[in-house]
Amino acid sequence: MAAGTATATGLRAPVPISGLRDISILRVAVITALLLLVLFGLPILNSNFWIQVNTQVAVYAITALGLGLLMGRVGLVSLGQIAVLALGAWVGARLLFATGVPFAVVLVMTGLITMVLGTLIGLPALRLSGLYLALVTLMLAGAIAVVLASTDFPNGGSGFLGHQEGGTEATSGAGTAETIRRPTIAESSDSYFRYTVIATALMFLLVLAHVRSKPGRAWAAIRQSEPAALAAGVNVTLYKLWAFALAAFITGIAGGLLAGENGVLFNYQFPTEDSIILLAVVLMGGIYSIWGAIIAGAFMRLLPELLNNWGLPADLLIILFGVGILQVLLTAPAGLIDQVPKDLRRLGRFLKRQVRGSPGQSADAAESG
Amino acid sequence: MVELGFLDLPSWSQLQPFIATGLALGGVYALSGVGMVVLYQTTGVLNLAFGAVGAMGALIAWELVNNAGMAEGLAYLVCILFGGAITLLYGAFFGAALAGRDPLVKATASLGLLLILLGTMSWIWSDKARSLTLPTSDPAFTVGEIFVNWTQLIALGLGIVVTFGTLAFLRFTNLGTAMRALANDREIAATLGVPVRKVEAQAWLVSGLLAGAAGLLLSNLVGLDAATLTFLVISSLAAALIARLRSLPITFFAALVVGLVTAMSTPWTPVSEYRQMAPFVLAVIALLWISRKREVTIPGASG
Repeated sequence: MAAGTATATGLRAPVPISGLRDISILRVAVITALLLLVLFGLPILNSNFWIQVNTQVAVYAITALGLGLLMGRVGLVSLGQIAVLALGAWVGARLLFATGVPFAVVLVMTGLITMVLGTLIGLPALRLSGLYLALVTLMLAGAIAVVLASTDFPNGGSGFLGHQEGGTEATSGAGTAETIRRPTIAESSDSYFRYTVIATALMFLLVLAHVRSKPGRAWAAIRQSEPAALAAGVNVTLYKLWAFALAAFITGIAGGLLAGENGVLFNYQFPTEDSIILLAVVLMGGIYSIWGAIIAGAFMRLLPELLNNWGLPADLLIILFGVGILQVLLTAPAGLIDQVPKDLRRLGRFLKRQVRGSPGQSADAAESG
Repeated sequence: MVELGFLDLPSWSQLQPFIATGLALGGVYALSGVGMVVLYQTTGVLNLAFGAVGAMGALIAWELVNNAGMAEGLAYLVCILFGGAITLLYGAFFGAALAGRDPLVKATASLGLLLILLGTMSWIWSDKARSLTLPTSDPAFTVGEIFVNWTQLIALGLGIVVTFGTLAFLRFTNLGTAMRALANDREIAATLGVPVRKVEAQAWLVSGLLAGAAGLLLSNLVGLDAATLTFLVISSLAAALIARLRSLPITFFAALVVGLVTAMSTPWTPVSEYRQMAPFVLAVIALLWISRKREVTIPGASG
């Protein structure tokens, strides 16, 4: 392992593009091209069902981004992010039923309200050290699940809870319930998918802007050592709270988007184990790169559907995620986003060596690779 | 008459039946809490898969009794032994590999085991209602006006025996002393010649056996459902947290309080639906009280 890393760094230097200044321009161009491909390519290539799955992937990518921010940048583990997502969905659904304001405005309001709630929860919990904070978030997730099971999600009823009995029978034709509305410019699945992807891209930019500027540096200092950060003049409590607030804000927006996507919300869509599965996929995607969140979103919502499609039980995936947690913690702390390119480079070198060393064996090596 | 419905507290006679339920639940929470605290103190691992291990054991016992026709007592023994075996196996591989890491990393790794077990359970025993009724579940006798069954009595009794037995064990035996040495400082204990791996393995085994027993009892007291039993660990954790993952007697009493509060708020209508929140609420209040004067947190430090 150590020897491999040494050769890797030795070989990385002569790669021509890494030293150039226009790498960031290149990167932006590639990302923009990918985004355009996703926005216009996927709706053409995919059926209605798969577009809805992809919308879910985008929503969960935002949620994963929030958790990745907390874990990778600040070093805080939250085991209750799906509960925060459920909170966001609740607030979003209630606001969409109660008001007639544009969808985008509702989304921002949802984000802000979820942020306030998340911060209220976070403020006292932040005084606890890592393990205890994680446990408190797990407990709050359990508590929120209990509340949701009793009150249920708003379905167009009146009052603060906005829930009426039998209101969710819309599918069976009772007709009393309305579904949660979508933005007027994005009523269809395809256009709502594009709407969600653009919102997701904005959330990624928001987080990127934070990570690249003062808060990002403060978080890095806190992750290294809290006493050292405090000594260096970083307001530890403020910046930890800031990270919590930012994560809750984007997760709230994800919840609002999910409300619009699903039309009707049920509390079984937010089980407690999903918070732990989210942790698993975020770790597997990679917590030190914000792009790992996209892998995480795909793992969480696309893979189960693919498995269903192939006739395999989706429960296998939960087992795989469990193995994934252990594997990431033991051997690959930076997750797939880091590991896959590294392994591909290693494979490339291996193949090159095989080709150069003994031409007779190269065909075998290429096939086995 | 009080006019506010919220203050309409249930009368004593309404509360009485729930005392036995609460104490039984508290007993199992104490059992689990002690299992987790001893393991945490000895190895630094907070095993969040504790509930999942018990759930899987109980489901295996159900399978053995209903589909393989095994004698009930033997099946229950298998359940407890399964808990010990799987936990020991996990400890031997991952406990050792992660020994030098932060407690948070170790706890996170145990979530990996939780997911593996949960996935396996929902794959094999797809969500269908099951029940496991221990032969001790018939009403045994009455105390005053309360019906008490043997399972409830066993739950509370086992909680008491395990808590105070463990306390005595840690105090008076060589292995117990070695465990306390590890709890103080792993490196120094190793330097002084304490066989660290061996002691840790024993802690894993005992904790696993307790997980199996807790799973068996809870499947009977609460219901046999993989996800419910898996996440019931949170309730037991509440008691352990109130004791700051350190003191066994406090774990025991906190567990009884958690069990009693949860059960006895059943007849109080305004909060009845929310009674499952009691463990979380109590633990959060306790934790915030403990850490009220803290500014900076240091990885690895308790509290």
